[in-house]
Amino acid sequence: MTIQFKLILLGLFSALVVLASPWLDISAIESSAIKQQIIHELRVPRVLFAFTAGSGLALCGMVFQAMFRNPLATPFTLGVASGASLGAAFSVYSGISFTILGLSATSLSAFAGALLAISLVYSISRFRFGFSGETLLLTGVAISFFFSSLILLIQYLSNVADSFQIIRWLMGSLTVVGYQELKQLLPFVALTAAVILFLSRELNLLKAGDEIAISRGVSVKVVRYTLFFVTSLCVGAIVALCGPIGFVGMMVPHICRLIIGEDHRYLIPATLLFGGSFLVICDTLARLIVAPAELPVGVLTTLLGGPFFLWLLMRQHKKLY
Amino acid sequence: MISCRHCTVTVGDKILLADINLEVAQGDYLCIVGPNGSGKSTLLKMLLAILPSQSGSLMIEGKSIDDYSSKSLAQLVSYVPQNGGMHQTFTVEEFVQMARYSYHSVFSNWQPQDHQAVEQALQITQCDGFRWRNMSTLSGGECQRVMIAAALAQDTPVMLLDEPTAFLDPHHQVAVHQLIRQLNQQHHKTIIEVTHDINHAAHHARHILALREGHCLWHGKAGEFFDATRLKTLYEQTFVFARHPHHGQLIAVADES
Repeated sequence: MTIQFKLILLGLFSALVVLASPWLDISAIESSAIKQQIIHELRVPRVLFAFTAGSGLALCGMVFQAMFRNPLATPFTLGVASGASLGAAFSVYSGISFTILGLSATSLSAFAGALLAISLVYSISRFRFGFSGETLLLTGVAISFFFSSLILLIQYLSNVADSFQIIRWLMGSLTVVGYQELKQLLPFVALTAAVILFLSRELNLLKAGDEIAISRGVSVKVVRYTLFFVTSLCVGAIVALCGPIGFVGMMVPHICRLIIGEDHRYLIPATLLFGGSFLVICDTLARLIVAPAELPVGVLTTLLGGPFFLWLLMRQHKKLY
Repeated sequence: MISCRHCTVTVGDKILLADINLEVAQGDYLCIVGPNGSGKSTLLKMLLAILPSQSGSLMIEGKSIDDYSSKSLAQLVSYVPQNGGMHQTFTVEEFVQMARYSYHSVFSNWQPQDHQAVEQALQITQCDGFRWRNMSTLSGGECQRVMIAAALAQDTPVMLLDEPTAFLDPHHQVAVHQLIRQLNQQHHKTIIEVTHDINHAAHHARHILALREGHCLWHGKAGEFFDATRLKTLYEQTFVFARHPHHGQLIAVADES
């Protein structure tokens, strides 16, 4: 089966998922007017929102895996998501509210947190201990823990309402009403996808190794900084709007690599499509499993992702030793 | 081709290379030898602009290396890194095609000359038989040939190779040595190779640069390299010499007694 054919199949699968998901579990409602309203104002925007967030998370995960040449390196494991969470929690706690260019204070501080985390992890692992996959991941884990305890501290200091808001949001949720959130998120994900697509050949060479990339003519520093910036922007925006939805960025690109191969010119569209449909499926499941209640989707993806992470870890070690 | 005057490379407060002077003419075959940590790989990295030279001047084709863009430098100098083929997960063909990066922008299409460069590189290195295989499944010798194929597809007048025969069995070492000589003699590539195989360097290279602790210990014609005191100073190891039974050239053997 050629790669092009696989991509077409994946496209059809995604279309099916997006079209079918809003209609699941709707038949129990009798009034067709209410049905219409639920579909139009809740389900469709939610599915589109989930698809956009999933695509963004998966693409950022793919970029991290390629840049660090490690399937375990994702915005989540490297502390970017917890940095963004800390930023967002801080803005809820401090109660500052303003908008710059249509971006809320929460989005902006989540973005700042994401950027802070990634620069910390990168500079510590690179300049302090030399640059290897292990130190990078361990630094990421350490930063994650540190930021998580800062989030706990903020919660402890907050009043009950703020604290509940922070907890609920740390679980990750895609519940939206109308298209407001989608409108806020879409530009970030679209920008990120465009930049990544633009840099697909550079990503291939970065995956092959920094020195190889330089010797082939890639301006590695410029490419790295650009990618750090856009992925932090994208993860910051997603985390600010839906909370830290874990493991999508690790599982999806890895599965896509197994199916499509390493060439990022094909891997990028595949990851975008599969990331989107994966999160839509998870969100639909989260909605159906305990209906009429709902699971926070972040809880579900983490429940799936934990075992996947362990499987990857064991697989990787088998390869190395 | 390459002219290096008083070049120094430091990382932090550690001096990796001090006051290196080097002239490499077009079509030359230079081997860099020296003990571990003497700055051999650093020298290659300096020529690739991976590590900057803090002093002196480094000219390639009459132009300072700082004046080249990443892409234009990559059209002059290619690189086969040490163990670069390990942990690669691309297919052989993908990996070799990726070496054409510097000839393209985002919007340009694959040209006939790209196709030709890739095919020729795969044929010369005899990699065309396994071009569809994933590099993670290749043996050490095959992997090294793919790395050379990729550098060859980059179509540069200068090729830098960092210990291309490390970890290869004797048969594959000879095969890679022959391939490098073929590139130098038939394809007129300027070769700079880092190696620990001093017999190979003395017999096949045109010039040798011996580095010790970041300094140039000796630089001259390969045929004049063998000298008991020089090797003793270079490696802190006594060598004995013998004549090769076939071609009568000197062979140096580390004296273990």
